[in-house]
Amino acid sequence: MPLLEISRLNKHFGGLHVTNSVDLALEAGEIHCLIGPNGAGKSTLFRLILGEYQPGSGHIFFAGENVTPLKSFARIHRGLSVKFQVPGVFKGLSVRQNLEIAAQRLHHGAELDGEIDRLLDFLGLADAQAQLAGNLSHGQKQWLEIGMAVSLKPRLLLLDEPTAGMSPEETHATGAMVQRLNAEGMTVLAIEHDMAFVRQVAQRVTVLHLGQVFAQGSIDQIVADERVAAIYLGQAHA
Amino acid sequence: MDIASLVFSSLYQFGDAFAFLVLSACGLAVIFGMMGVINLAHGEFIMCGAYVTVASAHAGLPLPLAIAAGTIVSALVGVLVELVVIRHLYERPLDTIVATWGLSLIATQGTLIALGSSMQGVGTPFGSFQVGNYSYSVYRLVLFASALAVLGGLYALFNWTRFGVIARATIQVPQMAAALGVDTRLIYSLTFACGAGLAGLAGGLYAPTMTLVPTMGATFIMEAFVTVVVGGADVFLGTAPAGAVLAVVKSAMTSWQGQLFGQIGLLVAVIFVIRILPKGLSGFLLRERT
Amino acid sequence: MNSLLRILGHLEGPQTVGRGPLFWALFAVALVAACAYPAFSDGYTVGNTVYFFTWVFIALSLCLIWGYGGSLSFGQTAFFGIAGYGYGILTINYGSAYGFTLVAMLLAIAVAALFALLLGYFMFFGRISGVFLGIVTLAVTLMLERFMAQTAGPEWHVGTARLNGFNGMSGMPPITIPWPGGSIVLFADIGLYYFVLGLLVLVYLGLRILMNSAFGNVVVAIRENPERAEMLGYDVRKYQLITFVIGAALAGTSGVLYTAWGQYITPSSMGMTAAALPLIWVAVGGRSDLTSTLVGTLTVLLVFQALTIYGSQYALVCMGLLLVLTVLLAPNGLVLGLMRLLARLSPSRRTGGV
Repeated sequence: MPLLEISRLNKHFGGLHVTNSVDLALEAGEIHCLIGPNGAGKSTLFRLILGEYQPGSGHIFFAGENVTPLKSFARIHRGLSVKFQVPGVFKGLSVRQNLEIAAQRLHHGAELDGEIDRLLDFLGLADAQAQLAGNLSHGQKQWLEIGMAVSLKPRLLLLDEPTAGMSPEETHATGAMVQRLNAEGMTVLAIEHDMAFVRQVAQRVTVLHLGQVFAQGSIDQIVADERVAAIYLGQAHA
Repeated sequence: MDIASLVFSSLYQFGDAFAFLVLSACGLAVIFGMMGVINLAHGEFIMCGAYVTVASAHAGLPLPLAIAAGTIVSALVGVLVELVVIRHLYERPLDTIVATWGLSLIATQGTLIALGSSMQGVGTPFGSFQVGNYSYSVYRLVLFASALAVLGGLYALFNWTRFGVIARATIQVPQMAAALGVDTRLIYSLTFACGAGLAGLAGGLYAPTMTLVPTMGATFIMEAFVTVVVGGADVFLGTAPAGAVLAVVKSAMTSWQGQLFGQIGLLVAVIFVIRILPKGLSGFLLRERT
Repeated sequence: MNSLLRILGHLEGPQTVGRGPLFWALFAVALVAACAYPAFSDGYTVGNTVYFFTWVFIALSLCLIWGYGGSLSFGQTAFFGIAGYGYGILTINYGSAYGFTLVAMLLAIAVAALFALLLGYFMFFGRISGVFLGIVTLAVTLMLERFMAQTAGPEWHVGTARLNGFNGMSGMPPITIPWPGGSIVLFADIGLYYFVLGLLVLVYLGLRILMNSAFGNVVVAIRENPERAEMLGYDVRKYQLITFVIGAALAGTSGVLYTAWGQYITPSSMGMTAAALPLIWVAVGGRSDLTSTLVGTLTVLLVFQALTIYGSQYALVCMGLLLVLTVLLAPNGLVLGLMRLLARLSPSRRTGGV
């Protein structure tokens, strides 16, 4: 049974079909990358999976359960977690408090402090723990938010452009981080434009185009697919 | 009472409520819709318009000119307020509410100190007419016509004039408008003045129907609030239909249980509307349209 | 025992300014001074001080909802009024024997909280926020004022309690504590002073613990970024509603104490001016910190009363001016700014996170 199964998902704003009968199945344990030109409907698909948007029709199953009618927070309780495209850290609070807010739902007391310390080490943010999250560099904010998402111990981690605005070194470090999480058993679905990152981590790739699943396969299959190259023509970051 | 006079009576009540809601709210709605700012001193701009109107009328100006004077003075005060306070708070819309509340307090108490606890009004003009067994005020019909005229005028202003088109562009994409050489500060300033002037107009129009007291703004502000909350951010798709819907509620409740229940009915309607349509009628209508 | 220590540990934390031995030493000095104060003063002045204290609860409620929660509630006076009238109606009908005034106090606060639950359900589950929340709550309190103001006629009564329209309700008994050998009636002087002071200290410390706990973490997280908070698995609406209800109970506490203090309550306590005053205290003090709100409220009230000697209209103009200037020049509040400055200078500050 797939961990996440999306069936015939439709969402339209006015006459514009942002996702058009999307089918997607994610196996437990895989790192799956979602690519596609701007406006392909990738972020909308994330919002549908998270329950921020309600689909016009279609269903989302998570671990065998139909989660389509559930509110966002309830889906998080089922084992979903997300890092947004624009870092959604609590800017006015300290780095440590950001992690505490994320981790306190599962951990309490002294164990919570230990968990936060572990996360700070994992993210390489231990020295910055007293800083306000709003004062971090862009890359550090991305990591902090990944850390917050990870602290929920999700079964499926959604990453919306985790390496946007990062240097090649930071991108590679992020890739390694994602692989470590995956090795611990976390399934990952990532929207990514950076092909180096996709190449580094993706076990399977889905190409979304005009709200529809356009192609699916291993990274080598996708790169070799001339139709995929065609839809990227004119897109600078192909 | 026969059917015809009953129908007329209901229509009259509706028109009266509609005029009050729309005239109270449109100044607030223009500022909120265009700038995302709630002006809590809105009631005091109404008060200002009313006081200037009555003072001008006492000084011998004919009523229409006196109302125009009230409108203009309110608009000018609006320019001043925008310049001194509002301009510095565009990044913090919630703080704008708090600051304008402070202004409201200053204006109310300042008027009380300067002009005393009440001002001699001017009588309601035009007298009354008879339908069936009841007599009705002609001036109330004038108010209804004025409300329609204000809505029409605003529609023309924002759709057909250069200012209106530039203002709407500025509101939607401020950076782009600025890049195209539009003085966005001037646009915000004029929009605020327009809202303040509309408040002054409402005050001027209603001045002949009420006693003037420094706290009279509070009489209008609740109706203005509920209309804007129900209407949402768009004057034409929001304020006008909200005024119509709420006028039905208010006039029905008023004729059933009296003035107070009309107001309670308004508030209850609002609380239900926000549960169902958080973005107000205009949000709902806009979503249906696209 | 361990969990008790853990709870007390929340007396200090990231959500409250003031930590370490120096702060608590100052707190102890202030508390001792407050306890000793009636011995060096007369009944009238002590009664006046109680009047100040009664307002602190509504200020703290606004601090909680607005400063910590980020929701603008301009209608705290609605809960103040509901609880005040509630106390009046209950005690006028059932008297003060057998400690009933204390029961009435709790019931009145509960009614205010229930009203907040209902109103808050519609607002927060309708997901309105920001400016709309402010104007809906303000409209509610103005509506209540209008409603109570027209209850002058004899037909407006609950049991034997006449509502009395604009003149308000009066003649309710003060808070009375049953005691073997004769009840203690807390008139508006020393007796009520210690009662309110005790309540104030409890509420202040209780709120410190609450805001530094896991619950408080979520409340400030929602203020900072509600979408992120939801995506960490928190039901944002529920937390907002709970905060709103706690705030309403605090505002109601003010209402009851004020009514018991002066033995009267009028509709204007829910009006536009009455609603503006707590906003001024909290904004000037520093809305995002309990201690700043407490100190700010008492200071502004003191200044306000001093100004009233020259005429309350002038005092209100000054208050309006103070609010505008605070928002423009010191948006975080004057007391909070000052306390942050002191904390920076103080050597006992810890640099760590917790």
